[in-house]
Amino acid sequence: MTALAEPETTSVRSPAAAPAVRPRGRAALSAVAAVAAVGLAVLVAGPGTPVRVVAAVAAALAVAELTRRLRTQLYAATELEAQRRDLMTLGQSTAEELEVATRMMRARAQTMTSVIDAVTEQSIIGTDPDGLIRVWNPGAERMLGLPRAEVVRIRTITDFHAPEELAPDALSPADDAARFAALVQVAREHGSDVRDWTYLTADGGRLTVSVAITPRTDDDGEQAGWNFVGTDMTEARAAERLKDQFVSLISHELRTPLSSILGYLELVMDDEEQPLTAEQRQYLATVERNAQRLLRLVGDLLFTAQVDAGRLTLQPEDVDLAGIVRAAEETARVTAATRGVSVRVEVPAGGLVVRGDALRLGQACDNLVSNAVKFTPADGQVTLRLRAGWRAADGTVLDSDAPGAARVALLSVSDTGVGIPTGEQGQLFTSFFRASTARRNAVPGVGLGLTITKAITTAHGGTLDVASAEGRGTTFTLTLPL
Amino acid sequence: MDAPVRVLVADDEEDIRLLVCLAVRKAGCTVVAAVADGAQALRSARAEQPDLVVLDVSMPEATGLEVCTQLRADPATAGCRVLLLSAGASPDDIARGLAAGADAYLPKPFTVAGLVDEVRRLTVGTPA
Repeated sequence: MTALAEPETTSVRSPAAAPAVRPRGRAALSAVAAVAAVGLAVLVAGPGTPVRVVAAVAAALAVAELTRRLRTQLYAATELEAQRRDLMTLGQSTAEELEVATRMMRARAQTMTSVIDAVTEQSIIGTDPDGLIRVWNPGAERMLGLPRAEVVRIRTITDFHAPEELAPDALSPADDAARFAALVQVAREHGSDVRDWTYLTADGGRLTVSVAITPRTDDDGEQAGWNFVGTDMTEARAAERLKDQFVSLISHELRTPLSSILGYLELVMDDEEQPLTAEQRQYLATVERNAQRLLRLVGDLLFTAQVDAGRLTLQPEDVDLAGIVRAAEETARVTAATRGVSVRVEVPAGGLVVRGDALRLGQACDNLVSNAVKFTPADGQVTLRLRAGWRAADGTVLDSDAPGAARVALLSVSDTGVGIPTGEQGQLFTSFFRASTARRNAVPGVGLGLTITKAITTAHGGTLDVASAEGRGTTFTLTLPL
Repeated sequence: MDAPVRVLVADDEEDIRLLVCLAVRKAGCTVVAAVADGAQALRSARAEQPDLVVLDVSMPEATGLEVCTQLRADPATAGCRVLLLSAGASPDDIARGLAAGADAYLPKPFTVAGLVDEVRRLTVGTPA
């Protein structure tokens, strides 16, 4: 059976790593092949052929068969080797890619952590969907007085909220979920929520914190939890309250003496039993005028404070703007005449009715007219013009209807006064701003009139625009929706 | 001759209190008491049963609004007229004053002529 040894050798020459047929199986295969080869040799050599010849033929056939099979196996083994190599390469590149991705993720997470950790003035708190805290930055540590290790995965965000602000009736621990639901309700409905909440600190303190609440999603867009970014507003809110108290104090403490001054002045000036000389009357009229000026200033300061605090309320009714314009002209008439400024009024004969607060609209119109008179030199002219028109979406005033334009009442106050430098026109509506032309010409005022007029106009859904050329005059145009 | 209309004046600012008294007299009425705080105003109102009480809103002891509410709650004083004076002139201030039961509300600073008119208006037909 020497011939049978050859396949063994061939087999050994096949690539070492090929998944070779196991030796025991290979021997059995060889035996079967040998028997088949002998059978075949008998058939080939024919009966009666000497045994030696038959054996030789059988051996030759067996070798041929084995060679064929081995070739097939070799081919399969080569194929497998190629596949193994491909898999190895693929595995290697996948591993490399994975490593790069992991490194990038780690770097990104590191960047995020370092950014969050760098925030020390704002609390950044992240929770899971149920409110359990997962992120607690140094800002939160500082604000609420607890280190990260004592909070993350241990406490819920509602532990740090004043309970009365979150479903006041939910007092049992089982209602934690209800409290958390109350906390994120607005953010859940509108996508985000910014408002003041009271945070409870570790040492029992209470802080007024402006908290921005936003949902956090994972890579699949699923809700992964919530973010709470808080800014401590305790001092700012206290300052606002102080300002309110101050304004209210000013209101009382300035109005009360002014009430006395104006009241007693009135008694003296109207005393029929002891009439004043013309000179005395003139002096006291000056006192009265200045007391009224102080009173207006107090009123303006109060009004500005109300606007700043978002407390400007309107008493809307149907208001004829023509009446408002005529009243403003009447109010300014004496001052204008004294200064030698003529005031012209152009209003529609039938009037023009808008929905608004008559008192406030009168105040706005008075401000514009008194400014115009104040800033116009002798022999100048002030024109008050009222008409209906349209206002395009881009703010352009139109005389006729156009697509997208809104019907408005247009009230313009033009003067031939000192004008406002172009570069300063943008600041005109800022509290206490005074144009250089006002200061240069020593025109009295504190810079609140236009701020107030603008606030009133805006509260009515209207607009206030200015067009001015230094040395030639100014036109303020107020529009109100019709 | 009709009995004079009797008025109680309450304001913690002496100058204003005197000014109000002058205006009340100009209106042809009699000042039965002029007091400087809310507690005195209540006591005087119960004792004097005035036709009209002129109350400053911002006063020590009890504010004009509190005095007004208590006057309305007491059958002995519920029928008197009340005029509130206040440095607060916002629509909210006025609404609060009227809600407390005042018949009229005059923001400070008021003119003497305006106060005289208001006192006359509120006391027309009194005393019965």
